[in-house]
Amino acid sequence: MKVTLTLNGRPIEADVEARKSLADFIREREGLTGTHITCEQGVCGACTILVDGRPVRSCIALAVTADRRDVRTVEGFDDDPVMAVVRRCFSECHALQCGYCTPGMLVTARDIVTRLPNADRARIRLELSGNLCRCTGYLGIVNAIEKAASEIRARRP
Amino acid sequence: MASQGIGASVLRNEDERFLHGRGQYVADITLPGTWNAAFLRSPIAHARIKSITIPDDLKGRVFTAADMTGVGPIVGISSLPGFRVSEYPVLATKKVRFVGEPIAVALAPERAEAEDMIERIAVEFDPLPAAVECLDARKSGAPLVHEQWPDNIVHQAEFKLGPFDEMVKKAAHKVTRQFRISRQAVMPMESRAALAHYDARQDELVVYASHQTPHLLATGLAKFLGMSQRRVRVISPDVGGGFGLKIFVEAEALVAASLAMRLRRPIRWIEDNLEHLTADANCREHRHTLTAYADNQGKFLAFDLDVVVDGGAYSIYPWTSCVEAAQCAGILTAAYDLPSIHAKLATIATNKPPICVYRGVARPGVCFSGELIVDAVARAIGREPYQVRIDNMVRPEQMPYSTITNKLYDSGDYPESVRQAVKLADVDGIRARQRRGETDGTLIGVGFASYTEQTAHGTSVLSKWGVELVPGYEMATVRMTPDGDLVIEVGIHSHGQGMETTLAQIASEVLGVDPKRVKVKFGDTAMSPYSTGTYASRSIVMAGGAVATACRTLAKRIAVIGAHLLQAKADDVRIENAQVIGPKGQVDFSALGRAWYLHPEDLPPAVDRGGLTVTEGYRPNPDSGTFSYATHAAVVSVDPDLGTVKLIDYVVVEDCGRRVNPMVVDGQVLGGTVQGIGTALYEEALYGPNGEALTGTLADYMIPGATEVPDIKLAHMTTLSPWTEFGIKGMGEGGAIAPPAAIANAVNDALRVLGVEIAETPITPRRVLAALAAAGKL
Ligand code: FES
Ligand code: FES
Repeated sequence: MKVTLTLNGRPIEADVEARKSLADFIREREGLTGTHITCEQGVCGACTILVDGRPVRSCIALAVTADRRDVRTVEGFDDDPVMAVVRRCFSECHALQCGYCTPGMLVTARDIVTRLPNADRARIRLELSGNLCRCTGYLGIVNAIEKAASEIRARRP
Repeated sequence: MASQGIGASVLRNEDERFLHGRGQYVADITLPGTWNAAFLRSPIAHARIKSITIPDDLKGRVFTAADMTGVGPIVGISSLPGFRVSEYPVLATKKVRFVGEPIAVALAPERAEAEDMIERIAVEFDPLPAAVECLDARKSGAPLVHEQWPDNIVHQAEFKLGPFDEMVKKAAHKVTRQFRISRQAVMPMESRAALAHYDARQDELVVYASHQTPHLLATGLAKFLGMSQRRVRVISPDVGGGFGLKIFVEAEALVAASLAMRLRRPIRWIEDNLEHLTADANCREHRHTLTAYADNQGKFLAFDLDVVVDGGAYSIYPWTSCVEAAQCAGILTAAYDLPSIHAKLATIATNKPPICVYRGVARPGVCFSGELIVDAVARAIGREPYQVRIDNMVRPEQMPYSTITNKLYDSGDYPESVRQAVKLADVDGIRARQRRGETDGTLIGVGFASYTEQTAHGTSVLSKWGVELVPGYEMATVRMTPDGDLVIEVGIHSHGQGMETTLAQIASEVLGVDPKRVKVKFGDTAMSPYSTGTYASRSIVMAGGAVATACRTLAKRIAVIGAHLLQAKADDVRIENAQVIGPKGQVDFSALGRAWYLHPEDLPPAVDRGGLTVTEGYRPNPDSGTFSYATHAAVVSVDPDLGTVKLIDYVVVEDCGRRVNPMVVDGQVLGGTVQGIGTALYEEALYGPNGEALTGTLADYMIPGATEVPDIKLAHMTTLSPWTEFGIKGMGEGGAIAPPAAIANAVNDALRVLGVEIAETPITPRRVLAALAAAGKL
């Protein structure tokens, strides 16, 4: 099936099998391997990307559903000022170890600080409940998001 | 420059690539012409294979045991007396012995096509009764996993150490309990993976594998493929978590490697989550009966442990299936000054995946039973469990302390870790709250668990484990580049532990270089010194020691060249901030690199021919291991109507000697602790009565998420090891050891008013309700 989409700002046209997941499409056809796959079942959040600005689990979204949509993966935030803050806070708060959950975590984290800039720790944890990390124990991730949110709040007039 | 050496929370060198999605894991690597592999796996725990039928059009794309002549079987032999050897075929031959055992493999450009192909393979089974629960499998008359064996006992041993009988006679209290620790899947976010190809130019097999011990994997691949090690190269790129799972030679990697050689085509296998949670549910499962003997003050006189470990169907290479059980006696004394023990250990074969090790190895299990019995003794004599702990612990003035089981504890103040945890968990506050009661009908409890963790144990210890691979000197190569930066090559691996930063900090400590200017390389057997790899919380002590040793040798050579360039005597110069400083001036390392590599005409006549590349080995003396320790405290609320357990507070007081990077240490402790919380409350690979796997998704096999854990409170003590470089102790596994025990003790403290105890992990609502029902309290 033919799809036309924008991937990290670049227009793309492709012929995809109906059963091909968006995650596999991004990784295999486009070679963007920053999007990781663990459960392929919508539980772990490793494959989280943005579709039309909203976090989506690319393992259970079919590539064909991305037709006429704007798709952004971890590779597509290099000029995003919010993501720049989130990334720095992740490093400063040791919110990553093996790095495998990190791309999905970053996309979710950016969504949290954008949508809920005043979220408290409990709310941050709740919002993170769809992203599993086996390494960090989450404390660093919660700290990083709290810190990024407060920095971003402070910048706003 | 502020110190970037030991003790500084330097931000990690590795973060940049991960934060931009530029990490490279095996699944991210595609070589031209790669075929992806899908395995047909047994749906039955125990059966004879009557026939395998492959459609004609799949010939040449589907392979079975008949195509694997000369490959394997995997044999993980222990030289411990009485060990029974099993043969683990890389693809099942006449029988299948666990759900998930590979029977056939299909190859196609896309994994989905390969999966379509395995759907079309017909296997006729003749099902056999399965050995599922290890306690039943031990009994005579149980179904035999290996029909040529007289029973399912892989290995057993018995130890009586110290004046056991005398102590038993003296004891005023005898407390016995039975404990169960569930089978688990390690569940790193990146599963196992292998991509094999034949490099015709080098005439070598190259295997990219998600692995903690790449050199050891290369040794094993060569052994089971019948190849010379000269022709085997393993590259373990970024690895998405290991935790002990990725240290053995895998059947799937052997199949991929042999087919890559045969078909002259890259073959890639990426374990999916169903494969991981079923075929790889391979750790922990213990059954204990433990008796503690104590005097009327609660001073322990003897522990008597009977352990059965479910070893699964086969023994893995090189660690064997008995390494888990075989450790249980040695670690039984934990942090206590215990005069005697008796232990019976058994590894039992069952129709489940072959047992491997997982963070903490046998310790989470032994800590669980040991620390729960401590609380049971305290309850029996009516004292606070933490006081009983403190009274029984090895005291700091007894260090170094040799346990009755022959472990040599190097340093530490164990009782102080309990005292600090008592304060941080506010035990007095909890007791007052318990007296008041909760308005919502829940019950509050506080529980403690302490442990010691042997880390970086070397030749003298592992040579007694009966395994084929014993670590010796750990090697590191340090070389200066022509522009004065450093490259470090080590044979260990890092998959979250931050070694790209911490080893650079050690180099910085010795040579004053900025860690950002140090490139730490590992994971490629063609480009690093041989090492048994990363396991047993050894890498920072061993590779760190090797890096320090090599840097010191390099410093001497640098001083000679630097002094010459400064026209000073070598004795009159010192090295600081990547410079050689003399009485009348200084030169940067870049000038030295330039002299050695590009302008040898500037070198002194008596220069060391080794130049600016140094390889050194390191081993602590003694090499019996350095012991980290910790006390964990958990505060829980239990709902006696629903059986739910909520963690309200969690405290860790740990001591791992000198912390190279405190931020990284915190990360390791926190991550380990949350894995331990998973063991305590959530994680259980379940099997049906016939050995059928029941937990094949992350919706059935639950690992902790962000909402399941509180903000953990972490406190540190720093007692240096007298035996290691800088006094560093290993600590990667420790966090995972204590939580099952601390949380269970907290639950039992909460349920004490009802006279109910839990002795099984995970502590699910069902188990809590069952315990309440059994006591007539529901
Ligand atoms: S891989 Fe998509 S949610 Fe787990
Ligand atoms: S950093 Fe390893 S899974 Fe999150």
